[in-house]
Amino acid sequence: MDKLTKQLKTDAAMIDVQVSDELDRRITASLQGVTPERPDLPAKQPRPAAFWWASSLTGVAAALVVIAIINVQSQPKSDPVQQVAKTSPVPEVTTPTIDWKTESAMLTRPLQQELEDLQSDLKKAEEKVKRDIGL
Amino acid sequence: MTDELQLINAAKAGSADAFADLVKLYRKRLLRFLLTRCSSFADAEDVLQDTMIAAYRYLHSYDPRWRFSTWLYRIAIRNAQKMRSENLVEIGELSDEESDPLLHCIAHSETENLWVSARRVLNDDVFAATWLRYAEDMSISDISKALDRSDSWTKVNLLRARKALDTEMNHKNNGSKAYG
Repeated sequence: MDKLTKQLKTDAAMIDVQVSDELDRRITASLQGVTPERPDLPAKQPRPAAFWWASSLTGVAAALVVIAIINVQSQPKSDPVQQVAKTSPVPEVTTPTIDWKTESAMLTRPLQQELEDLQSDLKKAEEKVKRDIGL
Repeated sequence: MTDELQLINAAKAGSADAFADLVKLYRKRLLRFLLTRCSSFADAEDVLQDTMIAAYRYLHSYDPRWRFSTWLYRIAIRNAQKMRSENLVEIGELSDEESDPLLHCIAHSETENLWVSARRVLNDDVFAATWLRYAEDMSISDISKALDRSDSWTKVNLLRARKALDTEMNHKNNGSKAYG
């Protein structure tokens, strides 16, 4: 042992430390109140081979059922001709609505009389306009 | 099977008494080490208590390929670092016997204790490596595990620490001769 190592060991031994009774009691009490954590649960037991066979068969059966349901749902339910007509790309003809801003006339007398009245009103209106513009 | 291993197995099975017996083997050594890393005696005691609690709580994670003391020291070093970062006190700032727990526990002698010098000239991890090597007789591999460092780091820094301490020791010896 060299001189430095010997000196380090000697000096370390000169550091005198005592664990007090109080600290001892504190540590003991603390440990009593601590619940050690449990390690992770062990790995699950491997399944028997029959389980995998049964699982595979169940999966295949479920897949077949799903395929069958999809096929049934994709079958046409009505007449194919009607289906074509419904899905025709030509848009239906629609009549455009025009706002004429007209008022309906109340015809309470014979049409000839109404016509004469209208013509008379029209003539009066023409005269009024001519008078207004000074013709 | 050694007594230590029997106690470890019993503690792993849930026996707090077995664990208490187990840590009795190490608590004095650990406290002495912690005094070199904590700013007060109370802090060192708190860190020791926290270390024991953490070790008991996580005992299931202890790998028997490690020495139990190495595992304990690793927990203690981490707890001491945590305590010091919380308190924000530099150990080097403690220079008087009243405030320095290490000086308080050293028997009076004519020359300065070399560990006090070591704490002054070495950084924390190098000091810890030196302590574990020369005060605890740990192997290089165990020191590396305890400090979470590589074996190369441990070897190189132990060598540097030896050089620094050798210089320090010679300087003191020459000084004491000159003044003696």
